[in-house]
Amino acid sequence: MRRKFPQLVCGLIGLLLFVVYFSRHPIASSINETVTREYWQIVFAFALLVGVVSFAKINLQGIERGEDRLYRIISLVGLISMPVLALIWGIGTGSPFMWVFDNVQVPMQSTVFALLAFFVASASLRGFRARSGPAFILLLAAMVALISRSDVGDLMSARFSDFAEWIRSNPSMSARRAILIGIGLGSLTTSLRVLLGLERTWLGKESK
Amino acid sequence: MKIESRHLAFIGLAVVVVIAMLVGGRPDLTPSADSVRMHEYIASLAPGSVVMVSFDHEASSLPEIGPLAKAFLRHAFSRGVKLVGVSLLAEGTGIGYRLMEETGREYDCEYGKDFVFLGFKPQWVAAIVAMGESISKTYPEDYLGNTYQDIPMLAGVVNYSDVAGVVSIADGSLTTHWMEYGHARYGITVSAFVAAAMVTTYDPYLASGQMHAMVGGLRGAAEYESLIGVGGSGGRAMLAQTVAHLYVIVLIILGNVVYFRSRHTGRK
Repeated sequence: MRRKFPQLVCGLIGLLLFVVYFSRHPIASSINETVTREYWQIVFAFALLVGVVSFAKINLQGIERGEDRLYRIISLVGLISMPVLALIWGIGTGSPFMWVFDNVQVPMQSTVFALLAFFVASASLRGFRARSGPAFILLLAAMVALISRSDVGDLMSARFSDFAEWIRSNPSMSARRAILIGIGLGSLTTSLRVLLGLERTWLGKESK
Repeated sequence: MKIESRHLAFIGLAVVVVIAMLVGGRPDLTPSADSVRMHEYIASLAPGSVVMVSFDHEASSLPEIGPLAKAFLRHAFSRGVKLVGVSLLAEGTGIGYRLMEETGREYDCEYGKDFVFLGFKPQWVAAIVAMGESISKTYPEDYLGNTYQDIPMLAGVVNYSDVAGVVSIADGSLTTHWMEYGHARYGITVSAFVAAAMVTTYDPYLASGQMHAMVGGLRGAAEYESLIGVGGSGGRAMLAQTVAHLYVIVLIILGNVVYFRSRHTGRK
């Protein structure tokens, strides 16, 4: 019963949401609106709470053990200070909250993201090798794309731009479409398996 | 510390990018068909029509997304299009509000009359579907705490049928949800300004017509800036992107020359 009941609830709710999403009937619309506007937000709020509590717990335990103490303290100060700043001075332009966001969070995240360029540089030198015919074609296509997305592409003949566009609209798009169709079919199959009770891993391990 | 080849590659990249940023310069780019299509779409909107702009990105991609967003906002404000800002990611909220306010000020646009920012709503699918039923019930208040009914610009804006289109400014796959739920379920026109890395992801949607128009990456921002005739950070950063791309190409060639030479020597 402990496994059958959640499965039943999941299947029935899943089926209901499936029907109301595609139906234009006023009752279906009303259910759809209530579920998306209220229920999902409540679920999100609880998920957020779990995340915050878990983040605080793990970091407090780490501080106790003396692991990366400084970083963990900074993380916790950040977690507490942002809502406090927002609650006291608001979130409008010129508020301390926005100042911290613009001058601490944005530069830090942009810096971390910019590190990708250095990984690409390193990989270009040490990893991107034309070890086979397909690898050579892939490298060539990548170089054409890189040139076409820079000023140099404009200095070359129109045929070069056409060729870059052809790569984007044919081989690249075909591959992307295949991936998207694969993802779609995979999602559909998994959803159906969950609704029909064939997929039960989300319930956790069965106790013997 | 022993200096390895990767360290030299890092230093080289930093040097060429810094020099390019210091030298500056604005390239004379030929706008692509994608940029022209987006420009024509925004230009075709009647002054006073309401467009929803969704800031679906994080703070990390701001150097690339910022110029794209500003180019779009400048064009929309200059055309008298009224903008309703939302965000499907918490981090896009602060950025979206600031970008709209700063750009609105350039065109003497008034908050509440010419543009409004509704803020962040968690769970993107739920937010998109809920707004399709009722925007005021999804966002009873705007980002600054004003009641929806008290905002003059939003009088008569009930759901997507009162909005000319949605423009998603994204660095990830969130625009997909706008197409899968906003377009497929409610028929709203979806366009996007996206990070360069996401262009190929959205190409099939653009080709199928599920996405109306798309502008991608710093080059897209630079092209759009030249189309609207306003200089921005997209054009300024293009030289740095160009030298970085050329630098990567040189490294690829160098790496392969070393690889084939070592293979040849190994055979001997």
